[in-house]
Amino acid sequence: MYLISTLVLLLCSSTIALENLVLEEEYTEYLSIRSLRDGKVASSFSFKTLLRDASPRDPRQLSFDDNQDASQHYTLFPLTLGQILRQYAITELHLTLNAGKWNYDSWGVPDEPGVGPGAELWAWMADGGTMSVDHRWQGLRNALAGLFCASLGSLDEQRTTSPQYAFPPEGTIPDLGLPHQIRHASHASEHVCTENLTPFLKLLPCKSSSGLASLLNPHRLFDADWHGMGIHVLWNPDGIEVHLNFQLVSDPLRPSTVQKQDWSLESLFDRTIQKSCPVAVTSQISVSLPSSGMYRITPEPHTLQGDNAHYELGSSLAEPFNVGIEWAGELEYPSALRDSSLMPISIHRTLQGPTQDKGRLLVTLRNNGPNELKVLYLETMPWLLQFYLHTTTMHIDGIPRNDLISNVSYILPVPHYQPATFESVLTIPGNATVRYSVDVTKAFLRYTEHPPDAQRGWDLPPAVFVPSTDSLRRMYAPALLVDLATPDFSMPYNVIIFTCSVVAFIFGSTFNLLTRKFVVVHLPEGN
Amino acid sequence: MTEKTWSPTSRPTVSASYAFPAMVAVRLLVALVQPFDLIHDHQLSSPLTSYRNLQEGIHLFRNGIDPYSGGVFRHSPLYLSLFSTLIPKSKTFSAVLWTLCDALGAYALVHIWRARQGLGKHAHSTRDELVAGAYLFNPYLFLPSVALSTSSFENMLALLALMFASQKKQSKALLALSFLLHTSLSSLVLLAPVLLLLLSDPHSHLASPRAFSGDLKRLPSLMAEFLLYFSFLAVASCLASGGITWVSQTWGASLTLPDLTPNTGLWWYFFTEMFDHFRPFFLMVFSVHLLIYTAPVCIKFQYDLLYASFVLFGILGIFKAYPTLSDPGLFITMHVLFPEVYPYLRYPIVTALLHLHASLLMPLFHNLWLAQGTGNANFFYASTLVFACANGAAVIDALWAGLRIALGEEKEGWVIAQE
Amino acid sequence: MDGPRNPSTIFFQYERIRRSIIASYWIVIILAIPLWWQTTSIERLSLPSSEVYAQAEAHRGFQLPVRIILDSEFTKRDNSLALEVQTVLKDSSALDIRVSGSSGRSEGDSYLVLPSESQEIRVEGRELFFPLEKASASVLAKTLASFILPDKDHRVVQYSPRYRLSFSLLNEDSSGGQVVEAWDASNGIARHIEPITSALSVLHNFTIESQAQFYAPLAFEPLKLSEDEAYGLTPEQLTVFVNSAEWTLSSSSSNDPVLHFLLFVPSASRRPLKILNKEGKPTNSNSFLIPQWGGIVIANLPESPSKIRLSTDDLKSSFTTFSQQLLTLLGVPRLSSGAVRSRQQPTGWQIDALLRYRAIENVVRTSDTLRSTVSLVEQIPNMPVGEKVRNDVRDALKALKSLSSSSNMTLTGILATSRDALTLSQKAFFHPGMLALLYFPVEHKYAVYTPLFASAIIPLVVAAMREVVAWRKQRRGVQVPQG
Repeated sequence: MYLISTLVLLLCSSTIALENLVLEEEYTEYLSIRSLRDGKVASSFSFKTLLRDASPRDPRQLSFDDNQDASQHYTLFPLTLGQILRQYAITELHLTLNAGKWNYDSWGVPDEPGVGPGAELWAWMADGGTMSVDHRWQGLRNALAGLFCASLGSLDEQRTTSPQYAFPPEGTIPDLGLPHQIRHASHASEHVCTENLTPFLKLLPCKSSSGLASLLNPHRLFDADWHGMGIHVLWNPDGIEVHLNFQLVSDPLRPSTVQKQDWSLESLFDRTIQKSCPVAVTSQISVSLPSSGMYRITPEPHTLQGDNAHYELGSSLAEPFNVGIEWAGELEYPSALRDSSLMPISIHRTLQGPTQDKGRLLVTLRNNGPNELKVLYLETMPWLLQFYLHTTTMHIDGIPRNDLISNVSYILPVPHYQPATFESVLTIPGNATVRYSVDVTKAFLRYTEHPPDAQRGWDLPPAVFVPSTDSLRRMYAPALLVDLATPDFSMPYNVIIFTCSVVAFIFGSTFNLLTRKFVVVHLPEGN
Repeated sequence: MTEKTWSPTSRPTVSASYAFPAMVAVRLLVALVQPFDLIHDHQLSSPLTSYRNLQEGIHLFRNGIDPYSGGVFRHSPLYLSLFSTLIPKSKTFSAVLWTLCDALGAYALVHIWRARQGLGKHAHSTRDELVAGAYLFNPYLFLPSVALSTSSFENMLALLALMFASQKKQSKALLALSFLLHTSLSSLVLLAPVLLLLLSDPHSHLASPRAFSGDLKRLPSLMAEFLLYFSFLAVASCLASGGITWVSQTWGASLTLPDLTPNTGLWWYFFTEMFDHFRPFFLMVFSVHLLIYTAPVCIKFQYDLLYASFVLFGILGIFKAYPTLSDPGLFITMHVLFPEVYPYLRYPIVTALLHLHASLLMPLFHNLWLAQGTGNANFFYASTLVFACANGAAVIDALWAGLRIALGEEKEGWVIAQE
Repeated sequence: MDGPRNPSTIFFQYERIRRSIIASYWIVIILAIPLWWQTTSIERLSLPSSEVYAQAEAHRGFQLPVRIILDSEFTKRDNSLALEVQTVLKDSSALDIRVSGSSGRSEGDSYLVLPSESQEIRVEGRELFFPLEKASASVLAKTLASFILPDKDHRVVQYSPRYRLSFSLLNEDSSGGQVVEAWDASNGIARHIEPITSALSVLHNFTIESQAQFYAPLAFEPLKLSEDEAYGLTPEQLTVFVNSAEWTLSSSSSNDPVLHFLLFVPSASRRPLKILNKEGKPTNSNSFLIPQWGGIVIANLPESPSKIRLSTDDLKSSFTTFSQQLLTLLGVPRLSSGAVRSRQQPTGWQIDALLRYRAIENVVRTSDTLRSTVSLVEQIPNMPVGEKVRNDVRDALKALKSLSSSSNMTLTGILATSRDALTLSQKAFFHPGMLALLYFPVEHKYAVYTPLFASAIIPLVVAAMREVVAWRKQRRGVQVPQG
């Protein structure tokens, strides 16, 4: 008995030493708003929680029967997410759910690079212990699907790839003495909607009750031209950081009768900030000021930094906070800029070919700068579409330039099981347009493999392009829709009966011919 | 029965000696011109024989990627090593190669004919040109060859095996047979008749059936020799492809049907529409069903094994897993070897009309479904059913005629029937 | 001859040819039968049903032995005391209780009743100190019963080898003037909860976690009390107190059951928040328990300052309450009134009683689960039963059997065995492989098979039968007419 109580005392004293560590959590929120040159307004919410001195779990501590786990004590860090991270020993996690197509050419670089259409999930995991990486990946998908009410369970083996170069870890990989592996899956037809936003908001310390998050009004968010949310977890020597972000591109011109670009928090979100979040260390709004035109920004910025006006919400607000810009004149879209792009490269990707059995994938890349650029090109293609790599061509102005494609890695698709992963480096000379094309063949599926709305076609995942100049600035080519030949879904029994009857007819006839005896019958005269 | 005269001439006539090269030249011309883009056509090449898949596999192989690690490439490693080392990858060259391969097939067919007639190797018969023409200008064989389907190679190998067997060239026949089996597993059906043909003779005994005349004691040694060649090729394949994954990708494909691309056969739609739970069972039934014909046909026609192989070619054309038009095409062309049965064919007109019907409908419905988008899968499926019926009718006709001939001509007032 | 050739003279019309052809068809079919079996069979291993039913019957009367030894001081005073106490206890229990007088030595797993020096009843480990003068049969039996035979309590959670204990600090509204920014939960847990969890580690494993929430609104409006600026929760409101739609409580990513402990801080405008009794009068209690779910403590904090960090001392009373709630939820029996607890809580008596209680619960649940599994498999003939399921059922049964012959097993050993049995039986019952073909009726199977087999097999069968008949006739020497 005394032994136990001394043990308990020892336990107490050891946890007292940890006391200060547990409280080391830091929450910051940040909203940046910028007017786009086509009159739209891009807003980006960013909520960061840092769990100091925490580190990802070593997968060797996981086991099926006894997952002896240290206690988890969080105040600001979301417990429900923390549980998932610990249960599957995830080092780094990125989940984005977007709707719409990010218009790189006129909107420029998004604040968060993960703007691919639909759902995208990728994670880095240490490989070790009894539970395999694929097993944990499956658990992670299902757990996140439950947490965010999204059909991430459909990101199964048929959509999971391990691209080696396009998705480097954004944080640091801890030195556990284990190799780390990536798993990536995307599902272009899974769009973000309100039922995903509610669990997203619940991960925030102040939910949508106060602070910047109170602006997240679903009616306005999902009305925007482009909107998407992201959940990013990464580790760096400071600790584990959870980064939740919501981006949207709203169109102030749409409801207004005059072509004025005016916006305010109230016009964008139909809300103002009533209360500040008491646990946020900083709560900042940054407005990037237009470079041209007459405008007025209210209220007066707290600080000015270059072209950015900053506002800091204090711990308590005297009155509801609103910020906005009013223009003197109507929006003039500079026609000279209409064709110019804000990005180093412009991407177009199409699937050509009218038939249901074959086609041609065409990617057009334009280098908008004068210098030669190397671009990493990643296709993660479900087995529905099969490349004929020997038909790959690269053209500049009609001249074949197959020397511009290099360092190809290709993992073949396996029908009914595994997608293809194709990574290569394309070199684009300055101010040149490169046309990359490859023949594809479309698969014929079993009737059970078709989705309920089979005639609609399949959404293919977006291709990813990473300019070598900035390895973290991925660009997503738009998703493609492919129509596959469909069988008649009402036919299973008919086909069984027809085919079996033909087989049985031929079988029976040959059997009779081979076994029955020939007889000679004498016909009576006159017949 | 009065024997028709296929008068052997020691020297071919001038016109005859040029006929064969002329036919090949015409074929070559068409192959080089390539009036239509037939390479994609599902009726002419299956995933196991498609030229594009072959090219893709060679491309991957040359770039250090194992072509058997995915579902793209299902050709035998023999093709892989042949095309990636010896043969240049040019379309013109391919056209020449495929035409030559058909020419070799026609040559083999002519020699089978000569062997059947008991003519010497260099003796010509007046029917030689007809036999060669039936092979070179049968559209079912011609079009797959223009589409560069490797089924032309398989037909050539099959005919070579039969030719050597007819000529009693044991080793060559067995070697050709093991090549054939490597490239197309379903040809297993032909193993027994070819081995038995080596032991007996290729002459027509249809009119006067008798018990198997060969020496069955030699069968084990033939079998052993065949297995030796076969395992040698298997080892060579493993070395060429660097592993054994090719087994499941090539032979496994014709047993498990992973690729459901439409073709002229019965399998693809059946297994597209099959309930998942019954898929393995019916795959087993269809595979076993193919094998079930071998023994009965060989027993029945033990006095004329060339005819037995002919019937089995017909069965293969209907029931194999990934058929192309060239499989039933070979069966149709082989009719030319057996002119003695023509008078006894049961319903030749019906069979011919069924074939005509199917061969018009199939390309039409295939196009309507996949290219135009105005038809659906049932259209093409229905036309493949008609095609199966046509092939079935042809096989039944051939069986009937092959047996019926033994009873001699029908006399007034007598009817021959099966009990 | 007038007509064509006599067909029976043709070689291929010979009987042996025909028979060998028919035989060759059949040989292939017979060779294919194993393949048929392999490709269609549902793996359906037989379960030991009769044993399961027999075992279920046997465990109706599952008993665990309890040995109580009265000190010689007691037996000296009253010779028949031991027997009387045993009679009283036995009437009210399913346990195999034996009370005996002391023979001067104590056995390892028995309980000692010793005379107490003072007037109080004291429990120390497995020893009960009882005042000699109070020791009548009925009083002693009552006291012992509370230790040995805890009553069934609907608040107790179902047994699980592992629980997740989730401690949540809930600020109702942190922008209302005051916010509890942080709490020293880990320390509070270490002081008040971990002694319990380590004492109960023979029964359960625990995963502990804590979180804080800053906006946890109630789904209803608390009653405003007329006298003094206070708010109250009626008993009806307590039942709907937990607002799971808005509060992000531990969802448990694993399958372990969660016990929730909530420290609820009402918003500054609704303080103090009191719990009302049935008459609507405020009670002194600031905590309540939700059966099988968890416990809630309402913390009415002083108004200032605006940002608070709750230290270990601040949390002392709340965590003491949590620890009591935890004991209740886990079914640790309460000592009868008048008994003084020892320094150590819970005592060996309590843990033993709990071990017995849980072991019996597990045995009953295991045999129920096994019976359900077996009867489910019997009811649905298409249900696959894999090797895993069968092995799990067998092992669970084996564990149950070993319990029946458990004369020399320790209580912890019995519990561990019963736990294994329960886990195995549930694993078998919930095995996903058993669902595979639940929706494939037999008619469907026939509908799929018939088109091919009806038309292909029948000619084969008929031909085979005809040959057999002809062959038998031949053997009897009857001439079969040819042609």
